[in-house]
Amino acid sequence: MDLIRRLFGTSKREVQGEANGQSTTSVPETIGNSHAATAEPVDQPAEAVSAPMQTRPLEPPKTYTTAQPSRQIKYGITSDVGRVRSNNQDGSMTLLATAEVTGSPPAIGLFVVADGMGGHKDGEHASAVTVQTIAHFVVEQIILPQLESRELNADMKTIPEVLSEAMEAANEAVQTHVPNGGTTATCVVIRGDLAYIAHVGDTRAYLITDGHIELITRDHSLVRRLQELGQLTDEEAEVHPQRNVLYRAIGQGDSLEVDAATRRLPPSSRLLICSDGLWGVLGEDRMSEIIVACAEPQEACDRMIMAANESGGPDNITAILIQMPD
Amino acid sequence: MPQSNDTRHIDGSDQRSLSVPDGTLQPGQVLQSRYRILGIIGMGGMGAVYQARDLHFQNVTKLCAVKEMINMAQDQQLREHTIRNFEREAEILATLSHPAIPQIYDFFSFGDRAYLVLEFIQGRDLEALLNSTEKFLPVEQVRQWGIEICDVLSYLHNHEPESIVFRDMKPSNVMIDHHKRVRLIDFGIAKTFQMGQPGTMIGTEGYSPPEQYKGLSSPAADIYALGATLHHLLTRRDPRLEPPFSFDQRPIREANSEVTDAFASVVMRALAYKPEDRYSSAEAMKQSLEAAGSGTLPDPNVRANVAPSPGYQGSPAASSAPSGYARNPGMAQSVPVPQPAPPVISHIDSVLPIWTFQVEDAVRSTPTVHNGILYIGAYDNNLWALDAKEGSLIWKFATESGIGSSPAYGGSAVYIGSSDHRMYAVDARTGKRKWAYKAESKIFTTPHLALGLVFFGSDDGKLYALKPGPASAKEAWIYNAMLPIRSSPVVADDSVYFGSDGGEFFCVDVSGELRWRFQTRRRIMSTPLVRDGVIYVGSDDWHMYALDVNQGYPIWRFRTKGAVVSSAVYAEGRIYFGSADGHVYAVDALAGRELWKYEIGSAVTSSPVIYLDSIYIGSVDGALYCLHARTGDLLWRFQSQGPILSSPFVADDMVYIGSDDQHVYALRA
Repeated sequence: MDLIRRLFGTSKREVQGEANGQSTTSVPETIGNSHAATAEPVDQPAEAVSAPMQTRPLEPPKTYTTAQPSRQIKYGITSDVGRVRSNNQDGSMTLLATAEVTGSPPAIGLFVVADGMGGHKDGEHASAVTVQTIAHFVVEQIILPQLESRELNADMKTIPEVLSEAMEAANEAVQTHVPNGGTTATCVVIRGDLAYIAHVGDTRAYLITDGHIELITRDHSLVRRLQELGQLTDEEAEVHPQRNVLYRAIGQGDSLEVDAATRRLPPSSRLLICSDGLWGVLGEDRMSEIIVACAEPQEACDRMIMAANESGGPDNITAILIQMPD
Repeated sequence: MPQSNDTRHIDGSDQRSLSVPDGTLQPGQVLQSRYRILGIIGMGGMGAVYQARDLHFQNVTKLCAVKEMINMAQDQQLREHTIRNFEREAEILATLSHPAIPQIYDFFSFGDRAYLVLEFIQGRDLEALLNSTEKFLPVEQVRQWGIEICDVLSYLHNHEPESIVFRDMKPSNVMIDHHKRVRLIDFGIAKTFQMGQPGTMIGTEGYSPPEQYKGLSSPAADIYALGATLHHLLTRRDPRLEPPFSFDQRPIREANSEVTDAFASVVMRALAYKPEDRYSSAEAMKQSLEAAGSGTLPDPNVRANVAPSPGYQGSPAASSAPSGYARNPGMAQSVPVPQPAPPVISHIDSVLPIWTFQVEDAVRSTPTVHNGILYIGAYDNNLWALDAKEGSLIWKFATESGIGSSPAYGGSAVYIGSSDHRMYAVDARTGKRKWAYKAESKIFTTPHLALGLVFFGSDDGKLYALKPGPASAKEAWIYNAMLPIRSSPVVADDSVYFGSDGGEFFCVDVSGELRWRFQTRRRIMSTPLVRDGVIYVGSDDWHMYALDVNQGYPIWRFRTKGAVVSSAVYAEGRIYFGSADGHVYAVDALAGRELWKYEIGSAVTSSPVIYLDSIYIGSVDGALYCLHARTGDLLWRFQSQGPILSSPFVADDMVYIGSDDQHVYALRA
């Protein structure tokens, strides 16, 4: 549990680097501090990384925006309270494990966004409890067994099974610990090039391939249902007074139906997970535009959040962007 | 007038929390110098409902209910509009006279609050009644309530000069008073106060019809909401916790078999998605409800008229949602796709074979067709070559024991394994033996030809890779799996995949070195299918597994209720297979989610083939089934005289199948 505790001990506004320093670091390996490179600010002047012990001149620094072919999954995450709300009820987490050991297990990652609802502190507690519960299940039952190279057999649970159990456990935990709260949850486990998605509510996942953006989750919202039934047009849905009404969320009843999907992620494709504070404000085209314009996923996340805030930031905003290897 | 637990709304922000703001009236407080508050009897979204005493009656205790509504509108104009609406509606209500409508004594407003003084009703609302028991409410009682509600709705809808729409029909708004009569307690007034609150909320109204969300309110909306109310009372499934407008996916009689067909169909007609498909009036619904009690169907058109609402899964928008996207988690859960009843078509069983050919023992071998010749093995020891068009004998080749495996065609030879322990290569044209290779036990697997080698498994526990020559064959390598191999090997991407009776699934490279293995719980008879980096293989442990080709990592597993001997076939993102539980399944290939299942009722060990839009598969009930691939509907079936354990083969618009009845059949595909 220490691992999980550490994961969530950080502040709400997380700005993490990429999973892998290779493509971003401007520091030759001889300096031996490549582990720190991921945390370097964007416009690091060359002097700042000069070390007295260096044995040969540094190459001119590259910025984060330079696209480099990557063999690894990269991701960015940003969460922001927005311009109107007083607290951030969105909860989110990322975790990526890459092991270079015999047997070459593929990278495995967990990415979760939960958008909490409820008065006082209930919303943020509900999303936090949900993120923590999902993390616990996935780390214990999926990520650790892989890192320990346990034998593959029919006794191990598959990722969709674990995700489904994790969501159900989160549902129970929220009902027990935050009875007046509720939350959406969209979680993605990526293993190799397969993305396993479990989803409840209106936090969305998009797949972006070759500049084309595709919504791969279905909102459990009243207006979405009315749209599906042909009662509302897209335009009507956008301004419908009940557009924020969900009919399914975590913490709202004993039985929880979880949407599940599995998608193969093509090389260089990107997967975006975001709360309605982002998609409801920017829209697909604008998000896609920013994502395609940014070479680095962290930069794309930051810019999308900035754009949502410039448009008023009416709600909490969270974005996780995962970029598949080229 | 208790305001029971209303739809649960959770506001997204602190500032606009829906809990009633400060200033709940305290017992003892007096409103308008007349109504002394005695206590709170309910707390609603908009404010409290109090029990009060009317002080105009000094000598007796006259109780009344005081309903408080707090104006939440932020905008001044909207606030005034809200108050005007309230006053107008209160005035209309005050003129009503019906035993099911509580009397309105008074109304007034000040500041941001409006008050309505009504008759105090002793009793319980239907939601409270439903929650007071775990059992179903008596069906006949529910029907009577429905009739009474229709009566009062009819009164309201026929009100002159203006029809009145109740707008908020739901169990918690229907009281059963101490005389056991129905009373409507919360007219749509409160609704005016609810609009325009920002912040994500959970919980829909559940009972309102789709058109109401466009702001349309009509008598037909009340009829729908009554249907929803009755549905909830009969099934105990709260529509506020279900996807909106999904009643047709929760058939009433499935939840509660005590409900008659007639009653259920009245409720479902009231719930028709389009207003014009519902009852045209509350009277009409009342008549149908009355008739439903006598057991006769009230109106011959009742069923015919019911246009089911667009299915949750089937709506165009829903299907444009991400492909393979599910309401349900991936594993072995049935998806509530409305299961279409098999169309009862008389010609379903009228398919006749183009030809039949009788052999001398059971046929459990799957045929293969090449250059107009059909090759098939039989337990009569023979490999048969027949003219595929006419079913005439071209040649037969005798082995020394029964043939349970299937032939493979390659080059100019047909390869077949026999329980005489031998793998044979037979000249495809002449039926003359080219060579035979003797394993250490029986061969029940179908040879797989790849990379110039012949791969097959044997009951001796070994997987053989033979290098065929013109007159003999010798081992390129042998992999010892230790336990009998009856799962036919498949070669793909320089790997050989097969399972064993030990339940182990093996991936061996083309030089015979083990790459990985995956342990299932029981033996594997099914032949693996390799498609887009995924291996699909069934096990006698009741599961179909999807494994990653690289390391055998399980992507999903799908649980049936019987051994999965059948091998999967793939088409358009789906796999199809049978199970000994008597079903044919269509499952999303990447998510492992069930798309449909077709119940045959007898074990299905046969493997399906797909041709155009149809699935062909045999069953031990002796029939060959042709199912619609997209829906799982039965298109036709052909009954043979013995169990069908083998799999069909399709070529040139013909489907071929062997049966334990010792025949090979050719049918038009």
